[in-house]
Amino acid sequence: MAYDVEILRLSPFALFDLKGAAEALEDWAPELSGLPGDPNALARNGEVLHCHVGPQHWLLRAPLEEENRLDAALRPNTAPPEISLVRVSDTLTFFRLTGPDAGEVLSIGCPLDLLPGVFGDTAVSFTELFGLKALVLRCAGGFEIAVEQSYGDMIADYLARATV
Amino acid sequence: MQGDRLPEGGRIDRARPLSFTFNGRALQGYDGDTLASALLANGIHLCARSFKYHRPRGIVGLGVEEPSALVELLGDDASGNRPATTIPLREGLVAQSVNCWPGPGFDLGAVTQLIGRFIPAGFYYKTFKWPNWHLFEPAIRRAAGLAAAPTEPPAKGHFENRYAHCDVLVAGAGPAGLQAALEAARAGRRVILADEGVEAGGGLLNRRLTISGAPALDWVAGVVAELEAMPNVTHLQNATVWAYREHNYLMVNERAPDHPGLLERNWRIRAGEVICATGAIERMLVFGNNDRPGVMLASAAQAYVNRFGVRPGKRAVVFTNNSSAYAVAADLISGGVEVAAIIDSRAQVSEAARALVPNVEILTGHVVTTTRGGRALKGVEVAPLAGGASRRIACDLLAQSGGWNPAVHLWSQSRGTLRYDETLATFLSDKPAQAVTCVGAANGEIALDDDSDDLPYAIEPLWRVEQARGKAFLDIQNDVTVDDVHLALREGYDTVEHVKRYTTGGMGIDQGKTGNINIIGTVALAQGAAPGEIGTTTFRAPYTPVSFGAIGGLREESVTFPYRHTPITEWNHARGAFMYEAGARWRRPGYFPQAGESFQESVNRECRAVRQIVGVYDGSPLGTFELKGRDVGKFLDHLYTNIMSTLSPGQVRYGMMLSDDGLILDDGVVLRLSEHRWIVSTSTGHADAIHAHMEEQRQTCFPDWNLFVTNVTSQWNNATICGPRARALMEALGADVDLAPDALPFMGFADGQVADLPARIVRVSFTGELSFEINVAPRHMRALWERIMEVGAAFDITPVGSEANHVLRVEKGFLSLGHEVDGTVDPFDLGMGWVMSKKKPDYLGKHAVALRRAGTRDRRELVGLRPEPDQMIPEGAPLTQGGDRKPTEGLVTACVFSVVHDAWVGLALLENGQARHGEIVHVRLTDRTIPARVTAPVHYDPKGERLRS
Repeated sequence: MAYDVEILRLSPFALFDLKGAAEALEDWAPELSGLPGDPNALARNGEVLHCHVGPQHWLLRAPLEEENRLDAALRPNTAPPEISLVRVSDTLTFFRLTGPDAGEVLSIGCPLDLLPGVFGDTAVSFTELFGLKALVLRCAGGFEIAVEQSYGDMIADYLARATV
Repeated sequence: MQGDRLPEGGRIDRARPLSFTFNGRALQGYDGDTLASALLANGIHLCARSFKYHRPRGIVGLGVEEPSALVELLGDDASGNRPATTIPLREGLVAQSVNCWPGPGFDLGAVTQLIGRFIPAGFYYKTFKWPNWHLFEPAIRRAAGLAAAPTEPPAKGHFENRYAHCDVLVAGAGPAGLQAALEAARAGRRVILADEGVEAGGGLLNRRLTISGAPALDWVAGVVAELEAMPNVTHLQNATVWAYREHNYLMVNERAPDHPGLLERNWRIRAGEVICATGAIERMLVFGNNDRPGVMLASAAQAYVNRFGVRPGKRAVVFTNNSSAYAVAADLISGGVEVAAIIDSRAQVSEAARALVPNVEILTGHVVTTTRGGRALKGVEVAPLAGGASRRIACDLLAQSGGWNPAVHLWSQSRGTLRYDETLATFLSDKPAQAVTCVGAANGEIALDDDSDDLPYAIEPLWRVEQARGKAFLDIQNDVTVDDVHLALREGYDTVEHVKRYTTGGMGIDQGKTGNINIIGTVALAQGAAPGEIGTTTFRAPYTPVSFGAIGGLREESVTFPYRHTPITEWNHARGAFMYEAGARWRRPGYFPQAGESFQESVNRECRAVRQIVGVYDGSPLGTFELKGRDVGKFLDHLYTNIMSTLSPGQVRYGMMLSDDGLILDDGVVLRLSEHRWIVSTSTGHADAIHAHMEEQRQTCFPDWNLFVTNVTSQWNNATICGPRARALMEALGADVDLAPDALPFMGFADGQVADLPARIVRVSFTGELSFEINVAPRHMRALWERIMEVGAAFDITPVGSEANHVLRVEKGFLSLGHEVDGTVDPFDLGMGWVMSKKKPDYLGKHAVALRRAGTRDRRELVGLRPEPDQMIPEGAPLTQGGDRKPTEGLVTACVFSVVHDAWVGLALLENGQARHGEIVHVRLTDRTIPARVTAPVHYDPKGERLRS
């Protein structure tokens, strides 16, 4: 491998798409307290991430084992009309790129400025990866990226080609 | 034997000899050579033949400005039309001349020169008009074209694109660029320095200058070392900034990245500000036969001596209109070249210039009128500029300098304006359009400042030699002469942009880097205007040629186009499915061939299974969106033609969306899950477009409505079981939902368990048969599918691909986007006027449909077709009256072999079709006509009893 990077296709996470006013979401479910207010910022609580990905739009990520518990806590089916909570665990496929060249490999497909001072540990953003919509965030030693699940094989294909 | 290699000097590594082949001859050069310098060292001046007249051509320049010495590389480096001056020599390089046969020395194409005067600019377009230009084009291209593109991709390695960001991008690592990069980097800015040369230094590499009393290259080495040590600096050599786009977005082509397996890398850089330190390019002088091998830019001759330790000639004449050529003459003499004379068109020459060449004859106020020789220069004719007797001087090298043009290409690409500077006789950067600055020679500072021993720059423009005898070329690469430009002007092409199009001057590989301004000057002289009034042509990317591989990057082979998989893709492959893209980048099974089956036999078998027993297909790619909020009902009433807000929870309704202009955009179904939660299911092909459409409407038209849209296309996969035995199979799978027709009727849905998996069962049908769409999370799809196949084995279940699906929907007359819905039809055209609500006061497209239908023009309406005699009709085939060559009255949208009818059936859009059932219409093909009877568009179960069963 020409680049010093380890690429791992991750197992699915529990994901919930959250829309509405932060206060309304937090009022509905204590699980959602502490939603980050800054755009493109994430808040970590252990392995649970709250990612602010758009105006009045967050993504909650947690280990898959937490999915049913979260579903029960968030009660998407009975939430008031002012907020929207939708289980989307299967919609994204995550990859983890770690190693000294992780940033270089990511920059092959991603136009974001990945400099730590610009895109730091609490940054998260939907952007583009090899022409596809993708979520990017930092992790220990590198980055995690997520694309629409059905494109997972193609992104794995791309990353393999990039690191030949 | 490198007979013209100087015994010492140059920035070549004489300890590393390299072998290469040119036109079949085995030759040697050194590491650090270009192909051009190595050829000159071996005494080879004749490199190619010209584009149009097949005139012998040699090496004119030093780098990207080279208009003449184009070669084709073979083997691992295969590529065509490469300037020999830009090819770093490497061991085993194989090159050959272009545009000549059998070789540049004896070229049969040179016969063209005999009729050269009869084939001026525009000749081909004016002559080969009848009956069709394309009849002659191939032969002309063969005769006049350059090297062919390689037919195979590089055998080894790959290309890469990379994004990067910086505060300051410096284009060019000459003295100005290095200084700019250093200042920015020392200030803590994030700097990218990109330079097209293989090493930093720019023009300093070619000269023998000092800076602060020390060799200039020592200064270069010091700056480079300091930059290399800075973590905030990315320094790229052999990397050309080739495009400058909006918002300071620039492209850099790095040709030999220090990375294993990587052939080239294309950087896509977003820069806070850009510094164009792109230097200046020497331009040619325009005199008779100024293209003969041995005629060379003065700066190039200087570089071959100083940088490559090569003697470009034994006896030289220097022809100039400016001061820079005097240092060239001095360096040539130092390199052992005899300088017979300096011909200077100016009346006065400074003492400082004269002092550089104390023993050389200087003929001021003189010009070269023509050159002598055949395939090599043997001498020049010299005459007073004001007229008078000419004199012949023997020489084998003519070093010419018409002055210097700042390389404002990138500046101009950034949409910055240019102004003509009378003192420098060239165009300079003027007003910027983006955050960009030109510095150094690119800003007109042609000579170094007082801290160096560079001669101050002085020029008097000489756009062409009036007394020229023979063809005087303005653009050597395209064989464009002064006469061609005059012809263009006479024929009314009187702006410089039109002159360019008429003559092709300034086009090609070099984009006229050495000759464009001479064309401008020639036009100015002819029109009695100043060059500034004539202006320049538009500078466009790329600055220099870029390989398609570098632009494409990794996008080749399997990732040339995006692709999407469903979770049962592996299963499909294992079953031998024939996979292809079937909309929205989804790779889906077209059909599942069994041993010995033809395509048609496979499709027929799958269709029979659905019509007679049971089949299953993967319907996962359908677009699925969850809508939430109080205002979803009225939002859907706005989007769809029929009423959705009256839907009760637990119900499903078919609907159709129109565009603003009242044409069908999409169709699908809507499910109401609860009072405020809805599911919108769209077609596969338009899923993304409909998502964007909904968001646009929500955000721009109804921003205050309580409404959320979430894409859950990939949260739901579905396996659709269809056929007379579908219900029995569902029961065998262990569904915990009452599947009876009255409990779960057609267009109903229920949540429950199927095969012990959480699922949503939806009673919709695309095949016209009893169908159960089992929706599960993708993580369960493979298990569900395998369970269906396992339990279904007792029912003789058949997996069904897209082809059979297509047949089944055509039999039913169901519309398909891209077939019947082709962007021209509304619901009435398809016999679906019933879907247009009369109760709603308004919805998207309503008034546009009403306006259109108030007109009197016939509409193309959906009909069925039965070919007579029975045969296949190609989809898309036109219908014309009587099958004659007349305007079409429609087209065949689909034609399939129906296992129900044991015959071919089709659908068509036909003018006034709904009133023409029973008529015979004619399909007009290129070789025959097919009669077909018009029928109703539903070929199977017109009452819909089976799908409601």
